[in-house]
Amino acid sequence: MTILVRESGAAQVVDVEGDVDLGTSPDLRRTLFDLMGKTPKLAVNLRKVRYIDSSGIATLIEVLKSTQRLPVEFVLFGLSPAVQDAFRLTHVNRIFRIVETEEQALTPA
Amino acid sequence: MSSPEAAPTDFSIHVTFEMLSQARCLPIVRATVAELAETVGWSESETRCITMAVDEALANVIRHAYHGRTDALIQLHCRAGEDQLEIRIRDTGDAPDQSRICARELGCDRIGGLGTHIIRDVMDTVSYESRQDGNWLTATKRLRRKG
Repeated sequence: MTILVRESGAAQVVDVEGDVDLGTSPDLRRTLFDLMGKTPKLAVNLRKVRYIDSSGIATLIEVLKSTQRLPVEFVLFGLSPAVQDAFRLTHVNRIFRIVETEEQALTPA
Repeated sequence: MSSPEAAPTDFSIHVTFEMLSQARCLPIVRATVAELAETVGWSESETRCITMAVDEALANVIRHAYHGRTDALIQLHCRAGEDQLEIRIRDTGDAPDQSRICARELGCDRIGGLGTHIIRDVMDTVSYESRQDGNWLTATKRLRRKG
């Protein structure tokens, strides 16, 4: 898994690529928690995620719950087919703000 | 005259893994299971789901049976036939707590507990058995061919 963090205006955009699994999800968790206090918006690009397991989904839920206690908006965009399947199986679609494009993600909710 | 032998099915393969309880083994297993499922005839999306179910079962062994130990042994048997995939996983760690399997409510924002839902949702049959030689998870999925 590779993670790229970039700024877009006031937001931090996190591009995730590869497999998010039991071995790699702690790295994603660390990155997202590090960014949480530094930005009013955290947007995660999942377009190039080849695989995500329940530990990866649990990481995203944990970040979501933490951002809800802060003035930080957390949004996911560009879900790959693998992420869509995993979200469908785990019924988590409705708990996240999910949009298709980065432009939509960076538009205020 | 000897009786005729049963005709072999058109496709049958049995793959066995013996792996240490390490997360870095999981991508190797996923790649093989995906190849098997695709060869049997599942769609791309179904193949992804089957792969995820197997991966979740192995991750549960690493996390819950072996509590993150990296030196314990896991056996995985994948038997693919013309229209069915059978997965058997054996570990010698703590037996699964049956009361916690699929105990998490779906659709909520609780962290964790999703893995067993994925396994049950994807596979047709799932059973857990604790025996003298270890804990066995057996799961099967039948391929429903169109036409």
